[in-house]
Amino acid sequence: MLTRGTLLYIGQRLVLIGFTVVAVSSIVFLGIHRLPGDALFNEHLHGTQYELLLHHYGLDRPLWDQYTSFLSAMIFHGNLGESLVNRGVQITPLVVRELTVSVEVGLFALIFTIGLGMLLGVVAALRQNTWVDYVLSTTSVIGYSMPSFVIATFLILLFAVWLDNLTQGTFYFQIGWTGTYGTIGEIWLPAFALGFPYASIVARLTRASMLEVIRQDYIRTARAKGLKETVITIRHALRNALIPVITILGPLVIGIITGGVIVENIFGIPGLGKEFANSILNRDYNIVIGVFTMYAALVGLANLGVDLLYVVIDPRIRY
Amino acid sequence: MTPASVRYLKALCVGSVAILVAIACGNPSPQSSNLAANQTLTFPILADFGTLDPAVSDAETDQEIQQNMFDGLVKFDNNLTVVPDIAASMPTVSGDGLTYTFKLRTDVTFSNGDKVTSKDVLYSWNRSAAMQGAYATNLAAIDGYDKVSKNTASGAALEALLEKNDPSVTLTGLTAPDASTVLVKMSAPAGWFLPAIALSGSTGEIVDVNAVKQDFDNWWTNPATAIGTGPFKMTSRVPKQSVDFAAVSNWWGSPKPTLTKVHLDVSVTDASTAITKYEQGGYDVYGYGGYSNMPVADIKRIQATPNEVSQLVLQPKVRSYWVSFNMVHDTKRTAGGPFLLANGQSGHDLRMAFALAVDKAKLVTVVCQDIVCTQATGGLIVKGLNGYLGDGQDPLAKFDAAQAKTLLKSADPDGSKTKGLTYTYDPENSLNKPTAEFLQSQWHDNLGVDVAIQPVSHSQFIKARLKGSYVLSRDGWQADYNHPQDWYDNLWGKIVGCPDSGCSTGYDTKAYDDLVAKADTESGDQATADYKALAQMLINDVVYIPLFYSKGAFLFKPYVKGAGTNNFSDFHWNEIQILTH
Repeated sequence: MLTRGTLLYIGQRLVLIGFTVVAVSSIVFLGIHRLPGDALFNEHLHGTQYELLLHHYGLDRPLWDQYTSFLSAMIFHGNLGESLVNRGVQITPLVVRELTVSVEVGLFALIFTIGLGMLLGVVAALRQNTWVDYVLSTTSVIGYSMPSFVIATFLILLFAVWLDNLTQGTFYFQIGWTGTYGTIGEIWLPAFALGFPYASIVARLTRASMLEVIRQDYIRTARAKGLKETVITIRHALRNALIPVITILGPLVIGIITGGVIVENIFGIPGLGKEFANSILNRDYNIVIGVFTMYAALVGLANLGVDLLYVVIDPRIRY
Repeated sequence: MTPASVRYLKALCVGSVAILVAIACGNPSPQSSNLAANQTLTFPILADFGTLDPAVSDAETDQEIQQNMFDGLVKFDNNLTVVPDIAASMPTVSGDGLTYTFKLRTDVTFSNGDKVTSKDVLYSWNRSAAMQGAYATNLAAIDGYDKVSKNTASGAALEALLEKNDPSVTLTGLTAPDASTVLVKMSAPAGWFLPAIALSGSTGEIVDVNAVKQDFDNWWTNPATAIGTGPFKMTSRVPKQSVDFAAVSNWWGSPKPTLTKVHLDVSVTDASTAITKYEQGGYDVYGYGGYSNMPVADIKRIQATPNEVSQLVLQPKVRSYWVSFNMVHDTKRTAGGPFLLANGQSGHDLRMAFALAVDKAKLVTVVCQDIVCTQATGGLIVKGLNGYLGDGQDPLAKFDAAQAKTLLKSADPDGSKTKGLTYTYDPENSLNKPTAEFLQSQWHDNLGVDVAIQPVSHSQFIKARLKGSYVLSRDGWQADYNHPQDWYDNLWGKIVGCPDSGCSTGYDTKAYDDLVAKADTESGDQATADYKALAQMLINDVVYIPLFYSKGAFLFKPYVKGAGTNNFSDFHWNEIQILTH
């Protein structure tokens, strides 16, 4: 599968991603420094204390000088600097750790998105125009009509508060995050909140696609050959019905990544999404740049992954 | 009695006395018969701390945590009285108020076993003054501070200067005649000096030179070098995720910690999520570490929950909120406006009209729902602190719409002066937006004046406000330590740079500067009287519109004994026990 052409394609894309990351971080660097306000100023500072702080972080140097230092440190040393708000916190290890947490949550969300979405779509298609179809279709409409932060808040109320009260603390979702990567018990609900809106989109797309495929001649032929219905559905219909679903995976992955900004905050997950909002509010320039840089890399790599998936699903595609 | 019974009685007496002496002299940890096996306290802080270096910390969270890791010569007790900490007793002060002599306890050690001597005090205070963190001015009364405050060396260069006692980074007023005596000579008498150095987690705290020189700027980030004299030491930290502390074995102070471990969860940043987690049993305490701003909706929900309401503590804190007028217009303070001191009686009457037009009692009901704040009726300094004027003693807190209207008519008969006014606020604090909207409606309803409201992000807002860029603005102060000097030096007058810059209003009169300079040198009743006279000066000139004092909201599980808070800070971790539950 990994032909020379594919490897070349991957190489080209990685170079492009590298350029994109540098471009994004540069734009953010120059943009964030133009924002009014900063992380260091407060009303307790007297005399030259503010100037000393600016000097400590090199923020009193000309912007161009700061930019070239930043760029060379990032490219040649992978060093994104130090937090302005949390002294002594090095940003590269921080955002890399947070990125892995977000990727973990995102992958779980993707499992919900694809797994649940496909399941609902296939069942709705196979039970077309029955009450099952109507219920699933309505659920899908509700799912993609509601942003993930509304779903997240509702799920916390439902599973963490009401269920806790209802069962007198016997069965409920325990809010929290253990260690760096949490536990399955802590991930499933935020992943569901993040993935459910997109699962609804996948469900509708899968349903439409399945309805088209199961009316194809080759499906009729398969039935005539006496193949089992499950084999026909999974091996022959679903695989072809998946191709349109895969085409929207790219935007879905981006949606899941950006949706994490809110969901991570609501569930208290120490990922990149949580950092995104807080660092901008705190005017922590260096972390903002680090977060955007990581997001740019993540989006680029996720898109590359989706593009490579085409090859697996559709043998007609070659790079 | 027979000799045997006498001997028995003697033995009994000796035994009893021995037991009593042991009880009296020892500092055993507070005992409870029903202590839980797991003595771990867990609570959230909604954002990671900025630093645990006392020389440069400037946030409430930093200080709340550091008070368990570091000590100063003196400290505030839970009743906000200055008491000895590392000092063996309160210092002796010379008759002219210029020399303080501190005798140190001889049994104090850092958590790594290093003994604390007067040299550590000199190193710590010189370092703090030279690093010029936000609270370096707490040491400003010490002779030589002005010179040291001009230091620009940092990092390893500063460490080298400190190590060789370079004059540029040495407070001349600070000497150590012997290993357990610190002599502090002041440049002028300062009645506020002891409260200022008692501020926990700040420039008066003592650090270990051996630990600091391992990594001058970031020594506190590494558990191996995050060394202090407090009852707890940091054992691990994952930035923005969690921090763990362990009790220092054989800690020198009292009471000895019962908790063996304190776990701070930094991953939850949303208050409501943290409260839900508390209710689920994920935390033992909520509100510690400087995060007592609980959403009103959550407070009301808890108040309506029978088995939780007793866990809720609403505690007045040291935050005061008011409206500031711009009172000076010059080339640096460009906002101008109708409230200027230079406008004489007209400006005064307009300020008074805007103050009297606001129904502050209603404000507290509408904005705080009578839960998270109380009306500020006793001046700017909050109730419970030195300098509070007394309930109902601030005439600017009154609401009199009729008089407000009359004053407005006389000062601005055609409405031209009050046309196009804007009230500016920072929306990050959830109380500020509803306050702005309430003020807008009050001025509209009671004065007939339309005032626009403008949100500006916090850091930009503070910077612009201190430059005199706003005609009307949200203002407030959170006390650093229990002394009026903290308010009157920092908010008005020349010390902060008024009228040209550095203060919200620009208010600066010779009478104010003279009196604040006099009050700062005094102590006791005379100082109190002069600071109250300063408050009266601000009232007479209608420098502000008092709004409210805020309250903090805390949740404590019933099994957490000894946890609590005063107006300033959390009770220390070494006072806390986890009971069986």
